[in-house]
Amino acid sequence: MDTPSYFPVPPGVGMEENFLSLDDILLSQERLPVRTECVFPRLGFLEKSSDSQDIPEGTKMELPLWLCKGLYEKKRKVLSVELPKIYKEGWRTVFTADPNVVDLHKMGPYYYGLGSQMLHFDNPENPDIANALLQTFIGRFRRTMDSSQNAYNEDTSVLVGRLDCLEKVLFRSGQNGLNGFQGWEKGQAAQLTASSLVLNYRKRKLVDVQS
Amino acid sequence: MDPSEVEFLAEKEFVKIIPNFSLDKIYLIGGDLGPFNPGLSVDVPVWLALNLKQRQKCRILPPEWMDVEKLEEMRELERKEDAFTPAPSPYYMELTKLLLNHASDNIPKADEIRTLVKDIWDTRVAKLRLSADSFIRQQEAHAQLDNLTLMEINTIREFLLDSLNCMYKLRSNLQPGATKGQFGDY
Repeated sequence: MDTPSYFPVPPGVGMEENFLSLDDILLSQERLPVRTECVFPRLGFLEKSSDSQDIPEGTKMELPLWLCKGLYEKKRKVLSVELPKIYKEGWRTVFTADPNVVDLHKMGPYYYGLGSQMLHFDNPENPDIANALLQTFIGRFRRTMDSSQNAYNEDTSVLVGRLDCLEKVLFRSGQNGLNGFQGWEKGQAAQLTASSLVLNYRKRKLVDVQS
Repeated sequence: MDPSEVEFLAEKEFVKIIPNFSLDKIYLIGGDLGPFNPGLSVDVPVWLALNLKQRQKCRILPPEWMDVEKLEEMRELERKEDAFTPAPSPYYMELTKLLLNHASDNIPKADEIRTLVKDIWDTRVAKLRLSADSFIRQQEAHAQLDNLTLMEINTIREFLLDSLNCMYKLRSNLQPGATKGQFGDY
């Protein structure tokens, strides 16, 4: 009964992105370390550290995800993408040891999303990355569930601060279920309240217009 | 589903009342409601019982399970067992709230009953969360939980379905064969 006025497009978790999802668009802004395999003539302005007109072969630079995906080709003639450090072996062992300790928001707010997109780049470590993502999710699930279902009417910024964006969405749906139930138990369901749509439009009340 | 919708469904349950008016049998679409005679108990659905109570035309009798000793036994049983025990009634939470809000004068020891029902609810919800966690942890495809009531399912539904969706998509990363070949779009 408290449906929003529009239904936001959810992010496409996994190897596909949802074209219209805001989360996915923001995700594709993340920068990845790449190494160019061929010369990029007259694009020297992209690489701030060198002053030349073109980007020579073998330069290491950072490009956003959307550009990397577009330029990447199987035959590896244009780019080769390296893994950001949080998906490398060292951090993966940290995640498998205890996923709950890590502050996923600091690690890049789109850990799961970016990890899934990295699988496009034909890395030999792909199965391990995919496995690490899944295991981290499973490990943190309990903590997310407990905190979202128990924090009623409290300041949740401490709890949410360490969560990745995907987990934040889950946290919000957990809170919805909890708030709905608690609101019903207190009897708020029987009270007439202004709909959120009307409040958003901020219509003027007749009383204000007359006076 | 809203909790108010679950409450609406709960109002179909039958409860015994003692009317103080008389009326012949009434024939409704959902069924017949027997003749009302003052002082004689009759079974009616909860929506009608609450309406009559608010108009001060009846007295509501507590259902059988709404008794302090019985609820204490159920609470102890629930705490001992790992699985879900049969709930006092498929709508125990809603009926407790409705009856104790509108008819607490007809129900003895209303506050204790409220506390006991809340204890039973807390135990069951904790078991539900534990089983959801082990379901995800072992990545099962199928689980069966008996004796859950609609209200409990409703509070966890949104969260559990969203997490299962995420887990499914992360799992599909492990088998990349099906989703490769999306580059054509660029």
